[in-house]
Amino acid sequence: MFDQFLSTILKADFLFSIIRITAPILFAALGAVVAEKAGVVNIGLEGIMSISALFGVLFSYWTQSWLVGVLGALVIGVILGLLMGFFALKLKTDIILAGIAINMIGGGGTIFLLYMFTGMRGNTGALVSQNILIPTVNIPLIKSIPILGEVLSGHSVLTYVAFILVFVMAALLYKTSLGLNIRAVGENEHAAESVGISVLRIKYIAIAISGAMAGLGGAFMSMYYSQGWNSGMIAGRGFIALAAQAMGRGEPVGTMLSSLLFGFAQALRTKVSGLQGVSSYLVSLIPYVFTIVGLVIYAISTTKKVRRYRETQVKAAE
Amino acid sequence: MTDRRMLVFNVLRGAAAIFLALTVGFIFIILSSDEPLTALRYLLIGPIFSIRNGILSFNTISFYTILAAMIPTIFTGLAVCVMFSANQFNLAGEGLVMLGGFIGALCAIYLKMAAGLHPVVCVVIAAIACGLVMLIPALLKVKLGASEMVTSLMLNYIIMFIVLHFLNYNFADRSKGATQTFPFEATAQIPALVPGSSKLSWGFIIALIFVVIVALFMYRTKWGYAIRMIGINQPFSKYSGMKVGATIVLSQIIGGVLSGMGGSIEVLGRYNTYLWRELPGYGWTGITIAILAKNNPIFVPFAAFFIAYLDKGCQLMSTYSDVPSEMIDIIQAAIFLFFAAEQFLAKYRQKVVVKNTRLEMAKAETRAVSTERRNA
Repeated sequence: MFDQFLSTILKADFLFSIIRITAPILFAALGAVVAEKAGVVNIGLEGIMSISALFGVLFSYWTQSWLVGVLGALVIGVILGLLMGFFALKLKTDIILAGIAINMIGGGGTIFLLYMFTGMRGNTGALVSQNILIPTVNIPLIKSIPILGEVLSGHSVLTYVAFILVFVMAALLYKTSLGLNIRAVGENEHAAESVGISVLRIKYIAIAISGAMAGLGGAFMSMYYSQGWNSGMIAGRGFIALAAQAMGRGEPVGTMLSSLLFGFAQALRTKVSGLQGVSSYLVSLIPYVFTIVGLVIYAISTTKKVRRYRETQVKAAE
Repeated sequence: MTDRRMLVFNVLRGAAAIFLALTVGFIFIILSSDEPLTALRYLLIGPIFSIRNGILSFNTISFYTILAAMIPTIFTGLAVCVMFSANQFNLAGEGLVMLGGFIGALCAIYLKMAAGLHPVVCVVIAAIACGLVMLIPALLKVKLGASEMVTSLMLNYIIMFIVLHFLNYNFADRSKGATQTFPFEATAQIPALVPGSSKLSWGFIIALIFVVIVALFMYRTKWGYAIRMIGINQPFSKYSGMKVGATIVLSQIIGGVLSGMGGSIEVLGRYNTYLWRELPGYGWTGITIAILAKNNPIFVPFAAFFIAYLDKGCQLMSTYSDVPSEMIDIIQAAIFLFFAAEQFLAKYRQKVVVKNTRLEMAKAETRAVSTERRNA
């Protein structure tokens, strides 16, 4: 069985599927990164993904254009982010509760919204046709490289966007004044305020960007990954993204690596559940157990670091 | 006097939040339905009144059904109250209801015992097991600083898949079409409180007893005090000598025990076999209830009644009109957002405070004047 296992995971199509599965988690995880940098916990990523996944399909169906669908999903993500921001920052609802409320709308609320807009219940099966799905791209030169081409070429447009956004996000956070302000607000609000940064405005911007990321993740799910929207399709990806952010130490590139780990776990789950004599339920556990183990490893390493830092401080004092 | 005015303000503020949330719901109903009036009628008065030939009559069975629906959510509401009071955003109640139900069911099937004792043992075992599971997020938080929110969210999925694994591979009754366990021993079932089909069991009374117990615990014991204090100001609690870590762990264990009780009591009171194949959702409802109750256990049954009433209304609405029952999630989310909003109607609160202060000052002045006169 182990041979069988090894031969399944050492194939190009397995590596391809890791990238495919990582993309939506990565989008949401980048949303978690930017929010967390500004000191905002965005637990609503899950709900934002589900709602914008629905609207992505609806917009692309109404206009018969996948691009409008993706942009629509992004805009819905921004609106939901700002809505969370309004309640959390203006009306002082606890941000975690505001996020849970968004997740409620993402759960049953989307079923209602789908019915309200189309009269359908549960899924968008009848709306989806090939021309409103996000197209795939073959990269000219890379495509012809033997194994690498199979792994890296032929993904959807948004998959590439997700990985490009990692570096865009890093540049935004570390090379622009907006990024500096976001980090300053997250580091110490009062200090940021004292030098004239509008804390409220920066937090609104951060949570709006966070919503936009989750929106793209949602569009990816409904308009490429599952080829249509159904309730429960996000299946905890928004929550896993929070864990990926924590494991990636809140940095874009680190978060990409931890997202890839989760992608690997998910891909493994899909592969292994195809094998004989394996409980599909236990296999389904893999990504979630992975998350907790990852968090623990991360937490142990940070507490060790803190301890070492303190020890050196004590020694220096002596 | 001032306290009373503040209380009146808080009650009115809550009412306004609920009213606004319902208005949001109504707008959505009007937008989506061809027969909004029928839908609204079933949503608002359908749950406890039946209308025949234009005559309104109280529907006792339906009322009992609502009370029955409160049983698991009172427990999860209490669980969330305790955990959120300590500022622990542990969301594992959802998974633990399922686990508690499953463990309670297994005890009900495979243990042989006397009728009075059997359900008690089932519920106690389920509660202890769920309390122990809560050690995972609690200890990870206290020892390693890992976010209890993220670990508990992951835990929900882990619990669900583990339960499904054992249900499907070890304990399924293959003679049935659907995936379910073998039937419970008759001795294990929690007896009905009222005859009929309402499923209102003695679990309801137990739930109310636990409301009192948890309220006493939170407001009359030092542990409850420590939990609330840590929620209000953790550094202060630490420097004043409270065992912060132990208290945080304790609050989450209590949360787990209550969730497990809720799940097992619900399963043993309502069904005669275990058949949940997905997370039942009571954990999330518990959060809404705790928010409505402002983390005060005494208000939990009222909040649970309100949510159960709305839920029933939404079900009736989807049966008798064209509005889907998932409407409840939109209304709940709106309640959530407005009710938890500290600054909602803050201007009026400011006015109340100002008015109070003016009155106090005027009173103090007249008192001062009168004492001056007396002295003179």
